[in-house]
Amino acid sequence: MRRLKFLFLLFVFATCRDKYDFPLRETDVSLLVVEGVLNAGQGPTTISLSRTLKLSDKATIKPITKAKLTVEGKNGGTFPLSETGNGNYTNAQLPLVFGQEYRLRIQTSDNKEYLSDYVIAKQTPAIDSISWKKKNDGVTIYANTHDANNKTRYYKWDYDETWEIRSFYYTEFRWTSGTTIIRSPGYHSVCWKYARSTSINLGSTVQLQSDVVSEAPLIVIPSLSDKLSVRYSIIVRQQSLTKEAYEYLQLMKKNTESIGSIFDAQPSELKGNIKCVTNPEEGVVGYLTASSIPEKRIFITAGEAGWFFPQDCPFVEVPNQPDSIASWVPGYLPFSAAKEMFGSVARYNFAPASCVDCVTRGGDVNRPSYW
Amino acid sequence: MRKSLLIASLLFLTILVNAQTTVRISGRFDSVPAINFFRQIEESTPYFFYYDSTQLDSVTVNLTAQDLLLNDLLKQAFQNSDIQFAIDGQNRVFITKKITLITSLPPNFFKVTDSLQIVDHTQALTSSKGSNNKKSTILENRIYEVGIKTNTIKQGKATISGYVRNNKTGEPVINASVFVDSLNRNAVSDQNGYYSLTLPMGRYKLNVQSLGMDDENYNVVVYSDGSLDFELKEHVALLKEVVISTQKVANINRVQMGVERLNIEAIKTVPTVFGEADIIRAVTTLPGVKTVGEASTGLNVRGGSADQNLVLMNGATVYNPSHFFGMFSAFNPEIVKDIELYKSSIPAKFGGRLSSVLDIGLREGNKKDITGSAGIGLVTSRFNIEGPLVKNKTSFILGGRSTYANWLLKMLPHPYNDSKASFYDVNMVVSHRMNPKNDLYFTGYISNDHFNLASDTTYGYRNLNFNIRWKHQFNTKLLSYFSVGSDQYQYQVDSKENKVNAYKLTFDINQLNLRSDFAYSFNSDHNFEFGFNTIRYNLHPGSYQPNSEQSLVTPDVVPNEQAFESAAYFSDRYTVSTKLSLNGGIRYSVFNYLGPHSINSYAPGSPKDESTIVSTKEYGVGKIINTYHGPEYRFSVRYAFSLSFSVKAGFNSQRQYIHMMSNTTAIAPTDIWKLSDPNVKPQQGNQASIGLYKNLKSNTIESSVEVYYKKIRDYLDYKPGAKLILNHHVETDVINTRGKAYGAELMIKKTSGKLNGWIGYTYSRILLQMDDSTVSAPVNGGRWYPANYDKPHDVTVVGNFKVNHRFSLSMNVTYSTGRPITLPIGRFYYAGSQRVLYADRNSYRIPDYFRTDFAMNIDGNYKVKQKTHNSWTIGVYNLTGRRNAYSVYYVSENGLVKGYKLSIFGSAIPFINFNIRF
Repeated sequence: MRRLKFLFLLFVFATCRDKYDFPLRETDVSLLVVEGVLNAGQGPTTISLSRTLKLSDKATIKPITKAKLTVEGKNGGTFPLSETGNGNYTNAQLPLVFGQEYRLRIQTSDNKEYLSDYVIAKQTPAIDSISWKKKNDGVTIYANTHDANNKTRYYKWDYDETWEIRSFYYTEFRWTSGTTIIRSPGYHSVCWKYARSTSINLGSTVQLQSDVVSEAPLIVIPSLSDKLSVRYSIIVRQQSLTKEAYEYLQLMKKNTESIGSIFDAQPSELKGNIKCVTNPEEGVVGYLTASSIPEKRIFITAGEAGWFFPQDCPFVEVPNQPDSIASWVPGYLPFSAAKEMFGSVARYNFAPASCVDCVTRGGDVNRPSYW
Repeated sequence: MRKSLLIASLLFLTILVNAQTTVRISGRFDSVPAINFFRQIEESTPYFFYYDSTQLDSVTVNLTAQDLLLNDLLKQAFQNSDIQFAIDGQNRVFITKKITLITSLPPNFFKVTDSLQIVDHTQALTSSKGSNNKKSTILENRIYEVGIKTNTIKQGKATISGYVRNNKTGEPVINASVFVDSLNRNAVSDQNGYYSLTLPMGRYKLNVQSLGMDDENYNVVVYSDGSLDFELKEHVALLKEVVISTQKVANINRVQMGVERLNIEAIKTVPTVFGEADIIRAVTTLPGVKTVGEASTGLNVRGGSADQNLVLMNGATVYNPSHFFGMFSAFNPEIVKDIELYKSSIPAKFGGRLSSVLDIGLREGNKKDITGSAGIGLVTSRFNIEGPLVKNKTSFILGGRSTYANWLLKMLPHPYNDSKASFYDVNMVVSHRMNPKNDLYFTGYISNDHFNLASDTTYGYRNLNFNIRWKHQFNTKLLSYFSVGSDQYQYQVDSKENKVNAYKLTFDINQLNLRSDFAYSFNSDHNFEFGFNTIRYNLHPGSYQPNSEQSLVTPDVVPNEQAFESAAYFSDRYTVSTKLSLNGGIRYSVFNYLGPHSINSYAPGSPKDESTIVSTKEYGVGKIINTYHGPEYRFSVRYAFSLSFSVKAGFNSQRQYIHMMSNTTAIAPTDIWKLSDPNVKPQQGNQASIGLYKNLKSNTIESSVEVYYKKIRDYLDYKPGAKLILNHHVETDVINTRGKAYGAELMIKKTSGKLNGWIGYTYSRILLQMDDSTVSAPVNGGRWYPANYDKPHDVTVVGNFKVNHRFSLSMNVTYSTGRPITLPIGRFYYAGSQRVLYADRNSYRIPDYFRTDFAMNIDGNYKVKQKTHNSWTIGVYNLTGRRNAYSVYYVSENGLVKGYKLSIFGSAIPFINFNIRF
């Protein structure tokens, strides 16, 4: 049904969209935000707790620490989650049984108790494939799956992306500080970058005869992006949802992502399945679900995608003199010798930092285990 | 008859010509028209007559002459009338009425004298022959006799009726006022130009006037019931004329209140985006009418939602009156004659919607000549042709518009340049006059839109309407209309690219209408209107089908809905005295929801959702599932303190059985309609209003103040995240809401002169409250909250300045309070992104709206004898380029929350339009 919605995200002739900060009357609303899935399959379960912030707040997230979390089975059994920092609470392997019902109890350090409704532990079918297509605007990545029993019907995906980047120039020199340049080791010319999904990706097959998800779009890698400049990998995790959870997340998505068109629906309040026991009036953001979380990773190389990644990397010769060097660093960095006399460098070749040191492009120098 | 008399009388004419001054004439003249009488004399004598033929229209000559001198002959001929004559020395005869011409200067003219004598009824005129005088004065001196002539005028009352027509095209003149000076009584012509007026028998001076036409005065003697047609001339200002303003008092005299009329000329002077005259945009400049934004043609009249307006085009219900995502209204301005918007006193003959009736009248084709026009604009072009099929009997008018906006869309940045949009509309009206008592009208309309917005999903929607109306005049007192018609609206959404998910979604409404309306002039004080009408609805709320062979889409069809909506009405316009008149009406409407359908029953007292369904009952074909019925009252009263000042008050109630389901701010092409059923009650509204009307400066300036208060029951609002499309039990997603609206509307209108236009100010509020006790978490905790279109202050100025006859300037200026909007109260982090948190609905407002538009209308020359007449419209929409907010919103992008303001026309938009008439 997502497609039926009127998605005129940005529309029209003279239509224009300006950045705008509305003079809001900020109130001190501080609600509990609970995010996470009870992993009914193999693997750890992580629940994140945070608080809502004022719009004007500088912080991205305000984690809740020192809370006590337990998972309770309807047929008995309580399983604690332990705090791992940053508002995360983990259990390495919950012994959940598919088809059984569980709930989450949260006790915060300010002596408030929260309790979720019982949720059924669903078995999620495996991801059939992660496919991709190249179109004019870039490469789109899709999830494909099916449930032979036609029982799952509602899906959610999130993903982690990893991609390799390489510097334009191979380097044998390194600027350390001031005007000091040392020979080898040079800069890292191979790095990896990471990103995780920032949107709520949902799919439903209720309108279809059989429970088949065909090419549910997950992400578009826009043309000229560095993600496919060398090699790209994405790991997609799939969850199954109940109808209510799907509707909740759909509404959250509508409220926060699919807004700004002419035919917008009214944004509306979210009512999840977690309630404050001590103060029933207090709202809680989040919807607890329980399912196995199968995952699948794919790799795409620049060659396969026929990718083109332009880099503007002119170089300049800089005399090996403190004044000259100081005037170029750190925007420009040395990568090779332009002229060597008597074993010492008379002039260096300098290029923009991004062409020399892949760390300046936000890269991480450690090769991931799966690479 | 007259011709044969003339020939007979000729035979007896013998003339003896002797000398220049002693011509003697003999002959017998039996009721010979004076003009023929003069002609006969001219033919056989050296005399030449100068006269104004219209003054002599009704003058006949009865005499037998035997060798009479002309002087004696004329004396005898006109002895009992006020016709005067004068013969000068050159055998010129001047025939005048009342005044005698002096053919020679007074003997002492060249002598300076203290006592200049002026003889009563005598004044010097320059000699002018026949029809050189201005035509409009001609008719005034003719006496029209209505009914069976009797020697003395009888006592009692009589009804005169007939048509007011355009003398050039034969088209009816709508809303022409036929006014009796001495009685302060008037009648207004209807859509077919038909009027009916009951008067005490006697002599009257009738004044007939209509916007854009020259006023005409008629001297009428009413002997008994009878008919009298009037022809009005289009107001063509050939010369700089002296404007004589007479009683432009329709706004004072009319009993109804809250009625706005605009004719197409006025609509065309309102500048609009892309320069297309736009009916709906022009309506939004009127007080009390709002719209949520520039991308919507949905009207909000006095706090009503967009689906609470009945849009009628020649009696056909148009469900989606917009083109191009709502940028244009779907009415071809070349075919439209005028519009009437009823905001408060809705006549009893209309019903079925809570807020207003927008009655769009289409033109009738020219009954005399084939004419047409064409226009080219930036986005659309249009063409229309009209003319007689059988001269003076049957005429047609056919108009079409089409767009070529794809070039504009191509100029958008990627990926929106892949968008495609097209639309067209075609109107046709055929009118046929069978005989003076029977007329037939056929109206047909189709409008079609098709677009996709840079995606594989295409959208299309279509209106299709036609109706046949028969007008029958039983006698001068009783007039009837019978009509049958079909109205259809449908939309379709298609997606094909992904073969597995390819689908096609369709929705349609079909209605068959049957109407009979009667107007009966009981006597001079009572005018009755009554009638019966019924609508058969057949609605397909949604059908979702696979759209390719590989598609796995499960067909999903929401079952049909059927219903009858019938109503009978009766109203009486009662003229108590010249000052006080009343209009009372009652309309009784009955709604039958029909099978086949299955109806869910929900546990009483608990919220309606899937879990509270207690039973589901199946109903067979044609079974009445349930019936809603009730009376609707329409009452208004007018008291005229003077000819230029009146006070009116009114009360009216309405019921609505069909509802648009939309939880978007603007009307979207994918909004569905739903009939009332056992779980969805009809909406009801009551409105009370009072108004003061004062005309100033010889009625050239009309001013009015109207105040209203309105209550709405069972208005439909939606649960958060409501699913409206393909919902088999949509009642679980709607919540009954009540509303209250109140406001004041001020209007000052200058109707004539070089500078004309209006200034309107509206203060209005519309507040809603979810009062459904079964809903556990009502919107805003069950408190009153403003509706999306609650814009308290609104000022609109529409002005038109005629620099000269070929060049005019138009301008409109609009200011309004920003509409309410729901904005976040906080922020949280979820699914890898910052997100915003919402609480109370509509607790903020977008920035205020301000816009100025400007247009110049340049007409080609006015030579009568040229094949085509051209005109240009050049202008700028949103002259100041203000980026008016359509909405303000916060969206998560790449993990961060960003605030934006969306403007639809965020810069000054120039336009040019070329029109040609032939």
